[in-house]
Amino acid sequence: MRLVPKLLAGVAFALAVMPSLASAEDKTITFISCGDKMQPAHADFIKQWEAKNAGFKVAPEVVGWDQCQDKVTTLAAAGTPVGLAYVGSRTLKQFAANDLIVPIEYTEDEKKSYYPFIVETVTTDGKQWGIPVAFSTKALYWNKDLFTAAGLDPETPPKTFAEEIAFAKQIKEKASTAGFGVVAKTFDNTMHQFLHWVYSNNGSVIDADGKITLDSKENLESLTALKDITPYAEEGPTSYEQNEVRAIFLDGKLGMIQASVGAKNLLKDAKFKWGVAELPQGPSAKGPGTLLITDSLAVFKNTGVEEQAIDLAKFLTNSENQPVYEAQEGLTPLRPGAAVDKLVAEDPNWKPFIDGISFGGPEPLFTDYKGLQNTMIEMVQAVVTGQAEPADALKKAAADLEQYK
Amino acid sequence: MNQSRGATIFAYCLLLPAILYIIAIVAYPLVETVNLSFTDAALKPTSNWVGMTNYSKIFAGNFSEIILRTFIWTFFSVAIKMIVGIFGAVLLNAAIPGRALFRILIMPPWVVPMAIGIFMWGWMYNGQFGMISGLLQNFGITSGPVAFLAHGDSAFWATIVTDVWIGVPLVTLYMLAAMQSIPKDLYEAAWVDGASRLYRFRRITLPMIVPALLTISMLSMIATFNSFDIIWILTRGGPSGETTTMIIDTYKVAIGSYKYGEGAARAVMICIFLSIFSFFYFRVVSRITIGESK
Amino acid sequence: MKRAPKPMIDRYNWLETIALYLGIFVFLFYLLSPFIEGFLVSLKPLSLLFSSPYSFYPRNGSLDAYWSIWERVPMLGLYIFNSLFISAIVTAIVMLIAVPAAYAFARIEFPFRGPLLGGFLAVNMFSGAVLLIPLFRLMRSLGVLNTYFAMIVPGVAFLIPTAIWLMRAYFLRIPKELEEAAWVDGASRLYILRRVILPLAMPGITVATIATFIGIYAGQFVFALTFNSKSEFAPLTTGLFAFFGRQEVIWNELMAASFVGITPALLIIVFLQRYLVAGLTAGAVKE
Repeated sequence: MRLVPKLLAGVAFALAVMPSLASAEDKTITFISCGDKMQPAHADFIKQWEAKNAGFKVAPEVVGWDQCQDKVTTLAAAGTPVGLAYVGSRTLKQFAANDLIVPIEYTEDEKKSYYPFIVETVTTDGKQWGIPVAFSTKALYWNKDLFTAAGLDPETPPKTFAEEIAFAKQIKEKASTAGFGVVAKTFDNTMHQFLHWVYSNNGSVIDADGKITLDSKENLESLTALKDITPYAEEGPTSYEQNEVRAIFLDGKLGMIQASVGAKNLLKDAKFKWGVAELPQGPSAKGPGTLLITDSLAVFKNTGVEEQAIDLAKFLTNSENQPVYEAQEGLTPLRPGAAVDKLVAEDPNWKPFIDGISFGGPEPLFTDYKGLQNTMIEMVQAVVTGQAEPADALKKAAADLEQYK
Repeated sequence: MNQSRGATIFAYCLLLPAILYIIAIVAYPLVETVNLSFTDAALKPTSNWVGMTNYSKIFAGNFSEIILRTFIWTFFSVAIKMIVGIFGAVLLNAAIPGRALFRILIMPPWVVPMAIGIFMWGWMYNGQFGMISGLLQNFGITSGPVAFLAHGDSAFWATIVTDVWIGVPLVTLYMLAAMQSIPKDLYEAAWVDGASRLYRFRRITLPMIVPALLTISMLSMIATFNSFDIIWILTRGGPSGETTTMIIDTYKVAIGSYKYGEGAARAVMICIFLSIFSFFYFRVVSRITIGESK
Repeated sequence: MKRAPKPMIDRYNWLETIALYLGIFVFLFYLLSPFIEGFLVSLKPLSLLFSSPYSFYPRNGSLDAYWSIWERVPMLGLYIFNSLFISAIVTAIVMLIAVPAAYAFARIEFPFRGPLLGGFLAVNMFSGAVLLIPLFRLMRSLGVLNTYFAMIVPGVAFLIPTAIWLMRAYFLRIPKELEEAAWVDGASRLYILRRVILPLAMPGITVATIATFIGIYAGQFVFALTFNSKSEFAPLTTGLFAFFGRQEVIWNELMAASFVGITPALLIIVFLQRYLVAGLTAGAVKE
């Protein structure tokens, strides 16, 4: 029987490739980073850090974007956390509440060096729990050719909710094309898109004391505006998430969308003229707002290398190194400074993304952020499909959110 | 020969590797899961005993709706898989040129990593860009884009169609193998007696493949009941929860939020449901088949 | 040598032939149309990936994606090899364990047969996601994390029940008389299993082999993701998710990589499927 020898050979081969036990000489900081490969900037910085810190080695592992968050959490839950992990800042509260990560000490100067609100995205219970490493904001993109076809001035984007709805209506009626990309699929970015409206109307979901502020006059205005613009959206918004809506816009079949910086790179080859502007403001707005999403590096407890991990994280994201990383990845800069000014000077389309920070808001920090997402998505879907009135949906969602704080 | 003490010993010898392996690898996680179902285990390092709390939480809310939906979804998906599978097996069993090639061509839905296959269906269903919506518009059957996954009903059936698509190759193959092992002389005898093709199919093929059908439908039912990836990737259980089955709900409420205790309780619940249902399914269909072939 | 004419029973009139081919065409269209879509996507550049109105033929189509996948994910070839390797080992182990077990369940009446079979099936009733953490701890204590075994060991466990269940039906159909005739002739049980039963059960065993192979090759992704952190051991399924970028998914390359990835598996199945044909049942014993 030739099968058995083959089998034995296979087992022997497998055993042979098992890694030999690592020497206990150097302490290792395991680092999970998201993506398909370690970003070149980080790879360089890691080498520099290792050179400065003898006796410590960094063992990076790259996990795909879709899975990295889950893998980090699973490892932590199973009792074998990694030393340092790239996580979405929205998850920090959950890790902190479950005593899995260590708080990060920041000096006042360090805190001030960031754009406003960025430190807020990693703050809960009065302490900071992560080191911001990536930042994104959103702005309004509009299709100038479609504006012209609908009889609108192609150089004038809408500045208020009311204008946004009216323009969308006109595009739908006069140019027979969907005017605005409504995102309502059961994906987390449905909540993000709604938060654009919330934060550009001086609204909020939860305040600094942990009180749920979802059911408010401002948010009712936002949710109603979303409901009002839905008739002029693409057909079947509950089946499109953010990137799919962006694809429709890229195809020239949408008047306006709200998207991140990445879209403008994709639009380079677009067959139509387009523009970027700040998100339109609602009736209660105090200034231009947007959704501020940050990703952070989190340091897990009980790894024996917590201090070194913090040091590594701060090194990776300090004022010299961070802009290199941001330039490579096409991210909104974390700190104002020369790099930003250069960016805006070279490509004025960056400006709306920076300006919106002043009145922007973060992803709300909840202990059970998935519960938050589910509730918000349910609320948006109920309103978009007409199953519920905005006022009722808001009340219900606000009540549901209590359990996830 | 097969009912003596010696036979029993032989049987257990044959079974020993399987039993040992399963116990070694699966027993601990299963026991641990049942254990967890009585605790409030979550991300925090320690957990407390909470008795039946997790189980009673399951029944609060619209759980009965979700159970019903799961059964209906599973029923239709499995039934359609069986019908299409037998249809395919009959076609591939026919002695026509090219059949070897066709048999290979049915494999891709099964061989491709499931997530990829589901993405492809996601594009097919896309209202703006998808093949189905596009062709419907091109042929003038509909006037605008049809977003299949945007509405509850169409999303429900769309996910079933995709689930069937993934399952059909195995069912077809299994039934084909079953048909292939029917002795040819049975057909020849009937043919000589003047029986038509349809008659031969009804009276010879069908009864002889019933055991195989029972086997594959049971397996399919168990797998389909817990079918997660398809609904998750296509609709995440939406819109507005209209494609949420038990496993999707489990994921959303418990596993996704890392509430392991609750997740375990739900999984145990699913297992109990499935076991009871499988047991009765098996008994009923066995009775039918044994009754018929005598 | 002239080929023997087809037996009369296998001849179809032209209406039947057309119906057959039409049926096959419809069937295959259903099964393969998403791949048409996927293939078209693999030919398009990323920014023009989605365009309406729908047209079958890609504009600006090119095979660029099939070359760029190797640059973006240089280890893709290794991932494919890993998948093949892991699948082969798992399949071999599963079949070694499951074939005797299936025979025992099918042919021998022993106490607790029913509940034992039910117990095996119950393994399949648990979704992998639930068992993840306890299984992780088990793998960790066995010391197999971050090796090939991290994926082989759980993979085997979860595929044994399916294989047993699939083959049992085929073993059931083998006429008892054949076994009894050999028994009366003095053959040992083991001999009967090897020489009498196995050849007759080849179609069933082949299906179970293919099913197990594909079960690992195309599924079981969450274990590979969590139990293994070394990309040298990563299988294709986790490797493909490297095409998910920060802001968007590189769909065209993902599709190209998928097509490249499934080709070896398809070739293996081409090889295996000749065993699907029954061996010697024709005329063996008259019922």
